[in-house]
Amino acid sequence: MEIEMGSRREFLRTASAGALAALTSKTLLGAAAGQATISVPGKEGLIVRSYRFLDLETPVEYMTDWITPIPHFFVRNHMFEPAEIDAKEWTLGIGGEVDKPLSLTLADLAKIPVYSVTNTLECAGNGRSQQSPRVPGIQWGKGAVGNARFSGPSLKSLLEKAGVKDTAKHVVFRGSDVVPGKVPPFIRSIPIEKAMDVDTLVATHMNGAALTPHHGYPARVITPGWAGAASCKWLTQITVQDKPADGNFMLPGYRMPNQPVKPGEAVKPEDTHSVTGLAVKSLIAGPIDGAKLKPGSQVVRGVAWAGEADITRVEVSTDGGASWNLAQLGKDQAKYAWRLWSYPWKPARSGDYTILSRATDSQGRVQPDAAVWNPSGYFYDACDQVKVYVQA
Amino acid sequence: MCRLNGSLLIFALLSAQAMVGENSPFAELPVGPLQEKATAACTSCHEARIIVQQRLSKAAWTKEMDKMIKWGAEVDSKDRDGLIHYFSTSFGPDQATYEAPRTAAHASPKVRLKGKH
Repeated sequence: MEIEMGSRREFLRTASAGALAALTSKTLLGAAAGQATISVPGKEGLIVRSYRFLDLETPVEYMTDWITPIPHFFVRNHMFEPAEIDAKEWTLGIGGEVDKPLSLTLADLAKIPVYSVTNTLECAGNGRSQQSPRVPGIQWGKGAVGNARFSGPSLKSLLEKAGVKDTAKHVVFRGSDVVPGKVPPFIRSIPIEKAMDVDTLVATHMNGAALTPHHGYPARVITPGWAGAASCKWLTQITVQDKPADGNFMLPGYRMPNQPVKPGEAVKPEDTHSVTGLAVKSLIAGPIDGAKLKPGSQVVRGVAWAGEADITRVEVSTDGGASWNLAQLGKDQAKYAWRLWSYPWKPARSGDYTILSRATDSQGRVQPDAAVWNPSGYFYDACDQVKVYVQA
Repeated sequence: MCRLNGSLLIFALLSAQAMVGENSPFAELPVGPLQEKATAACTSCHEARIIVQQRLSKAAWTKEMDKMIKWGAEVDSKDRDGLIHYFSTSFGPDQATYEAPRTAAHASPKVRLKGKH
């Protein structure tokens, strides 16, 4: 991909080109009448939650591959993407509570042993639009989630190169995304224990190719099993500290109440905690909601993931939750990666059906019937549901 | 709000005006007496689609408005209440869900910009 979207500097030129490309592609591809399409090179058929800055969602019907292809992988940007990054000029600084502050080039990174982690990356706000009452934020449907193979040096190896002091408790990441107005920069930290886990990466590659600009070129953090906000894109600075990062995206941002709260109820900061590992969840990729199915054999299929835990079971109900049946898990598996699942189904009659999916993980967590409402709409985890009609 | 210089701002507004409509990648704020002011205050940092997809109570819109003013949205104090009314009546909890567009389903053809753009 050559074109970078969403940077302030590039905004006007790109926007004009985008408008023309949308017009042309719509004409050439014959998009369905009334279905608006927008051209975002390298991203195909995704739901546009925001064009500037760019936030794209994967439709659930695309979730039939264990590895999500880059054109179908969701994008979550808080700011504008950096306009241009010169790979030769790029450096990654490592400082703070370390013995020897470092400035590493891409060539330096390439000399460090490469690890690969297949990680299901999910935005903390995925499913937010299903909360009631609604809360502010990108109104994600179900698809701010994808599974990719990320590769690069382990963060641990970089921190060890710099020499972490005994005072090191948290690791702060800063990316080069462009901050508009007086908006606070997107800066977050993770605890040193997670930073020193060998699976936490400074990834330079995704699905075997160099990161694309939308996914954080030339390097990003991958904090596997955790909400996407812990995986800073366009990484330029790593700072080791004795305390967590300050700022909006640590507090009040990306926090969950310790106890369930009612809509409108004030929550004290000390009664909240920063988001970390993902919930246990499943999604139905097919049949899609509202589908009219021909009579005969069907396959209900989808994906299920559990952050740092493993999926042990997925159950499917085709009668609105009255009875449940075990789905078969796909053979592809890796720590932190989602599992494909499928359930063969032969509807006994024509008519309306409500299909549900429910995942269980190795920590004994089970997807609930209803998600717990929270003020920021994080970790929506209710059993997934689609309604279909089987024709006579 | 981004600190755009004068000529750039004018160009931005003209471009935005030229691009609205069916084939624009940008959503539009609804017609109303405060459409222009809301567009100017909000869309130099983010497009209107982030606003039009929200379904919030007046209390929630008030909180958002004050957060955005703190984050640099240039809103005349005499317009604050009107803008909160404009957003909460346009994008309240009872409005139908916003139908988002999709990105083109196949790799876009290369477009050469000739003349007007």
